[in-house]
Order: sequence, then C-alpha cells, then structure tokens
Amino acid sequence: MILSRIFALSLLILTACSQPPDTQILRMGLANAPLNLDPRFATDAASERINRLLYQRLVEFDDQSLPVAGIADWETLSPTHYRFRLRQPTSRFTHEKLLDAADVVATYQFVLDPQNASPHRSALELIEDVTQIDQQTLDFHLKRSDPLFPAYLVLAIQPADLLASRHPFHEQPVGSGPFRFVDHSKPGHLLLERHRDGQKVEFIEVKNPTVRTLKLLRGEIDLLQNDLAPELVGYLRSRKEVEVANRPGSNFSYIGFNMEDPATGNPLVRRAIAHAIDRETIISQVLNSAAHPALALFPSEHWAGAKDLESYDYSPQLARSLLAEAGYDAGHPLKLVYKTSSDPFRIRLATIIQSQLKQVGIEVDLRSYDWGTFFGDIKAGRFQIYSLAWVGIRTPDIFRYIFASDSLPPKGANRGRYSSPEVDRLLKEVEQAKTLAEQANLYRQLQAILQQDLPYIPLWYENQIFASRRTVTGYQLMTDGNYDGLEQVVLVNKREIPDAETNAAY
Amino acid sequence: MADFLLSRLVSALVVILGVATLVFLLIHLVPGDPVDVMLGESARATDREALRIALGLNLPVSEQLLVYFSNLAHLDLGRSLYSNLPVSQVLAERIPATLELAGAALLCAVLIATPLGIMAAVRRGEAWDWGAMGFSMLGVSIPNFWLGPMLILLFSLWLGWTPVSGRDSLAGLILPAITLGSAFAAILARMIRSSLLEVLGEDYVRTARAKGLSERGVVLRHAMRNAWLPVITLLGLQLGALLGGAVVTEIVFDWPGVGSLMIDSIQKRDFPVVQGCVLFISLVYVLVNTLTDIVYGLVDPRIRLSGSR
Repeated sequence: MILSRIFALSLLILTACSQPPDTQILRMGLANAPLNLDPRFATDAASERINRLLYQRLVEFDDQSLPVAGIADWETLSPTHYRFRLRQPTSRFTHEKLLDAADVVATYQFVLDPQNASPHRSALELIEDVTQIDQQTLDFHLKRSDPLFPAYLVLAIQPADLLASRHPFHEQPVGSGPFRFVDHSKPGHLLLERHRDGQKVEFIEVKNPTVRTLKLLRGEIDLLQNDLAPELVGYLRSRKEVEVANRPGSNFSYIGFNMEDPATGNPLVRRAIAHAIDRETIISQVLNSAAHPALALFPSEHWAGAKDLESYDYSPQLARSLLAEAGYDAGHPLKLVYKTSSDPFRIRLATIIQSQLKQVGIEVDLRSYDWGTFFGDIKAGRFQIYSLAWVGIRTPDIFRYIFASDSLPPKGANRGRYSSPEVDRLLKEVEQAKTLAEQANLYRQLQAILQQDLPYIPLWYENQIFASRRTVTGYQLMTDGNYDGLEQVVLVNKREIPDAETNAAY
Repeated sequence: MADFLLSRLVSALVVILGVATLVFLLIHLVPGDPVDVMLGESARATDREALRIALGLNLPVSEQLLVYFSNLAHLDLGRSLYSNLPVSQVLAERIPATLELAGAALLCAVLIATPLGIMAAVRRGEAWDWGAMGFSMLGVSIPNFWLGPMLILLFSLWLGWTPVSGRDSLAGLILPAITLGSAFAAILARMIRSSLLEVLGEDYVRTARAKGLSERGVVLRHAMRNAWLPVITLLGLQLGALLGGAVVTEIVFDWPGVGSLMIDSIQKRDFPVVQGCVLFISLVYVLVNTLTDIVYGLVDPRIRLSGSR
C-alpha cells in the first residue's frame, strides 16, 4: 500500500510539473519533420514547404500554374536566351547581405555542377550556362528552346559568399524569405521567426494523426494541415473550439497498370476496371467529400488542363460485358494482384476498390508493403495494378517523364511500361512548340489519348484540409499544400476569445 | 568471479558482433534503395551514381561490411545518409529519452505490480486475488496502440492533467510510462504472485510463523527476499525489451527515442542509423542480462558458489 501511495504522489507531483505552452508561439503540427533544410539537396515535401518560408525564388506560379515573377522579372531575348532582372528593392539575407544577381548565379551554378550531385539538376538540364550581367541582372542561355523554361526556375536562392565557404545550410539555413531560422536542436521541433513582426512559429512533428488531432484540441498545437483521415476531419468539424477549412487541391490520385502484363495490358480489362470503380461514392462516403473526381493528371483549371475529356462513369453492367468481351467470366474470373503502401488509409481505399471490383467478378489479391519495398516493386515493374498519387506537380513536362516510351525507370517514371507512338510524337511536337498556347493544345490532345488508352485510371484530387484553434486567424490555404499562409497568419491572444478554452467540456 | 565476468564479456562481444553482421546483411537484402528515396525518381542516372559513390554504396556488400567493421573498431558508427550527422550523435540525442521512458516504465511497473502480486499471493482465492489477476490479464491483453490514446483521452483531454504527447515537461512522461509499463506490470504481478506462493509453502516460512512473527513481517522480510529471485531475471529481460521495444509507445506519444528513430530509418533505408540503433539495442540487452546474472549471484549466494566451483 505504501508503494501505491508513493505512485499516486509521484503522479500528482509530475502532473503539477505540466507547463502550459508558451502562448506567444504559433505551433503547427506536421506528420513528418523536414529532412533537410538545405534546399539544394532537399526533396521531401516538408523540407520544400518550409524552405519556401526561409528562401525566395526567381519565379512563382499563378492560379493556373503559369509562371509569374517571383523576385525577378524576365524577358525572352531569343528562344534560347532569357534575361532576369531582380525586382527592387531586393531583400537581405539573414546575415545582412543584400540579395543580388551573384547569389542567383552561384545557386544555379552549384546545382548544375554534376560533382555536387544535387537532385534538382535534372530539372534544369536544358540550361547551357548562367551569367551575371550586373548586380541586378543575369542571363540564362539554353541548349534548346522551351517556352515553359521560366517555370523551372524555382530553386531557393542562397547567398554566394556562404555557398563559397561551404556553410552548413542544413544546420543553419540562411535565406531571404519571410521567415528566419531560429532553432532546430530538439528532435522533431523546428522554430522559425517571421521577419515582419517577430512572430515565432514552431513546427512540431506528430506522426500519429489521432494524437495530432488531440493535441490540437488540447491547445498543444494551434494549427495543422492535411494528413488526416476523413473521420478525424469530421470529428474536428464537430468541435466548436476548432475551425476547419478546405479548398480543392491538385494532388492527383490514380490507379496504374502494368501494360506489359497479359491481363492489364488488355485495354478492355482496363476499361472494365474504370467502369467498375464507383469514385463518386468513395469520395462522398469515404473521403467525406474532401476530394473531387479527376479526369486527368491536371485539373481543368490548369493552363494545360483538358476540359472535354470523356469520363468512365460507374457502370457494373458495362464492366461485366467488357470483361466478357476480354474472355473472362464466372468460370474463368480475372485475378489481379493490387499493390499499395502500408499507409492505413491507402489500405482502406484499396480494400474498398477490391470490394467494388469483386462485384463485377474481378478477384483482387491486395498486398501492402512498406514504402521502400512498394516503390521498389513499382519502379521495377513488378505489379499488375497499384495505386499512388502525384503530389505538388505544376508543369506539364511531367507527361514526358511519365508516359514517353523511353522514360522507363530509373530514367523516368513510366512505371507501367506504356508505349504509344502517338503520345511520343506529340511529346516531340511539344519540344518544338514556340508558345505556351501551342504546348497547351498539344498537351490536351495527349491527355485525350491517355484517357482512351488508360495507362492510369484517374481517381480524384484530394482537397487541402486545414484545422486550427480559434485563436488562429488569417491563414490562407494553398492548392498545392504549401505553408505560405503562415506569412499572414495571426495568433490572437487567447483571452480575447471567450470560449477558446473549453477543454473541460470534452 | 573474475572468470565469470570474463566469460560473460566474451560471450557478450560475440553476440554483439553476430547481431551487427546479421543486421548489416539483412538491411542490404531488403528491397528499396536509399539513393532512390533520397533523390526521388526524377534524378538522372549520373546523379544517382555520384551519390552512390559518395555514400560508398557502389562497393560490394562484403567490402561495405569490412569498412563497417573497420570503422566500428574505431568506435565510428558512420554518418546518417540523410542528415550527414554522425550516427553516434544522432543516437546520443535519442538515448536519454529512451532511458528516461524505460526507467519510468520500469518504476511504474514495479510500483503497480509489487503490491498487486503480494496481495494476490497472501489472499489467494479471495476477491483480492481475482481482482489482481483480472487486472493482470487486462494489462497483458490491451495493446499499447489502443491504451495510449485512451489514456490521452482520459487524462489529457477530459481531466486536463497531462500533456497529450511530447517530452516538453516531466508530466509528459506519465502517460507513456504507464502505457509502456502496464503490460510489464501485469506480467510482473503474476510472477511475484506465483513466486511468493511457492516460497510461502517453504519450511523456513513455517518456522518464522511458529516463532510468532507477524504475517507482514513473514511476507516482507522472509518470503519476499527469496521470491524476488525469479523476478530479478524477468526484470532484466524486460528492461532490455523496454529499452529497445518501445516503438509503439514512442510513436503514439511522439517520444523522441531510439525505437521511433529506428522505424524512421528503416523506412528511409538509412542503413548506418538502422545499424546503430540495432547495435545499441543489442548492447543494452547484453549488458542488462550480464548485470542480471551478476545481481542474481549477489542476491543468491548458492548461484555465486556454484559458479565458482
């Protein structure tokens, strides 16, 4: 009994040690902490989103994903010669140096140098050279023309002096963006400060989505974005101390086929599967309407998006007749292996699709793997069907990367070994196109062919979801899920919100 | 005693080297390439090759193993493929959290299990016994991934006593320690009960009672001393498990320990960090078991004597 009393007393003392969080810091819960704060080498989404806050770029994008001026305006001197002028007044890096053309040149030259093995080099391979004209001006010379070239200039600009001195940017980022780096010493925590008003923002990694939700409810974090199961979003919506917002996103979910497989290589089978999946029901019942159906890789609002694509409506009867035409029936059912990742929500979606396919007589053997194994199999072509999503894509040159017959992994991402002379021809014509309008027209033709051939079944674009305490105002959600909304967000004093703290009511 | 210690040390070294080799080979057999995970699909073949050379992944596995052991001999665990930080530094950041959680969980388990086990043994067949064993059954049966969120709901959200997760305050340790320690408390309570029941039937306990000692004195001073022996073995084994196997609890409570680091590193195919984590866990197991053997010898002179014969 003495031991039990000691235990109860310890519990009481420890509970008394619980410190309320600092109310001046805005805390954002992340599913994954950034892996690398050096933008020359960062490839994960969390790092890229946070690096956007720390650094600036030559080019940004408008609502149609067309490139617009970031820190520089540009003019096309010839199809292979672009001149960029930094906008005035230029910003300062956090070590007080003014950002100038030398910094831009040094950043691009570093990434273009093969010895530095930057993962961003391949996106810039058409650059012949980059030269400084004066303190505010620089020129890009290209190996070949591409009217979309400015859209590739999204590297975060780093100071030339620190690049030369091999500054450890991954530990001490020095940028000219709206935020400055403060601290990253605690595992899973990153502290930034907004230049404008000194507002501190702490990013806290909370991997478990349920725990992330509970932390938001208790006020241990103030806001979170995405990576929540629909039922958690529904639960948050029912809480009066939390606000939930969403907006259409551009992350594209799809089912991919192995075109070299005897079964899935048959267009009748692919069409049957497309007609057997009830996307509307999945979106309304499973995704809680937090998505909208997709007909192609890009939404129709995108500058290269197609507006009049044929959709594969849900029709089990049509699916069955297509399967019969392909030679499958109850006595000789179609059997497929469906691979997905070990993410519980992806498994749930795959299980639903498995069930829908069963209704038309397709027997699906569902297999989930950890990410490394799953992705390795997909790239090696060891699959019949799989589901994945393309996240954060902006420029339609990705069509070449995914669907050109010579883009097999590891060179490209033609994982399904799709080969279409017509698509290859259109992709070559895109390279010759003089204007973006010409390119857009060719990409629309290409998307119509893809919708006919169905190397992918487009599923949906998942919405961007944002949830915050009522003490947070002014956050604007972005379609690609970046954290630019933090530039304007305001943390209201909790005492100004009468019913902000209602934890006792849980 | 010196021979005993030397033999334990040699066998510990063999086990650790065996584990290191096995893990090295297994992680290289698992599908998935760290270069792919690091560079993404869009990287060019030349860039992949450059990174592969930079990381030493272009060498044959046998050569990589030799390099690994050569570095290990110099206490160099290598560098993380992602952060480029020394693995020893990455581990050093996580080990205190792991030790803290394992220690607290062990303390929690002992504090819960000891009174439960003793009461169940002393009042065998009564409601206390049934209650304690029922609790024990529950503790073993409830998985941590369910118990953790339930405790958060109760203590953090409804009562507001503890933070939901994180290592920001001492109070943040309570729920993970209870979650991790609950299953162990259940096993420990059963072990204490059965061990004490066995001892309570011994002649010397009957003698102590015949001498007129109080029941409390008989149990706590005489019976418990011998009943602790098998419990110490279990404590040793379980401490190793608590140090290395707290993955689920660490993930539920965002506890920045070695378990969650290892899972992250496996997913990212960060080979050196995975190897470092496994080496740490095996080292802990071996150390704790060696210590258990030594403590066992100290507590029970019969074992010490038979060992030196």
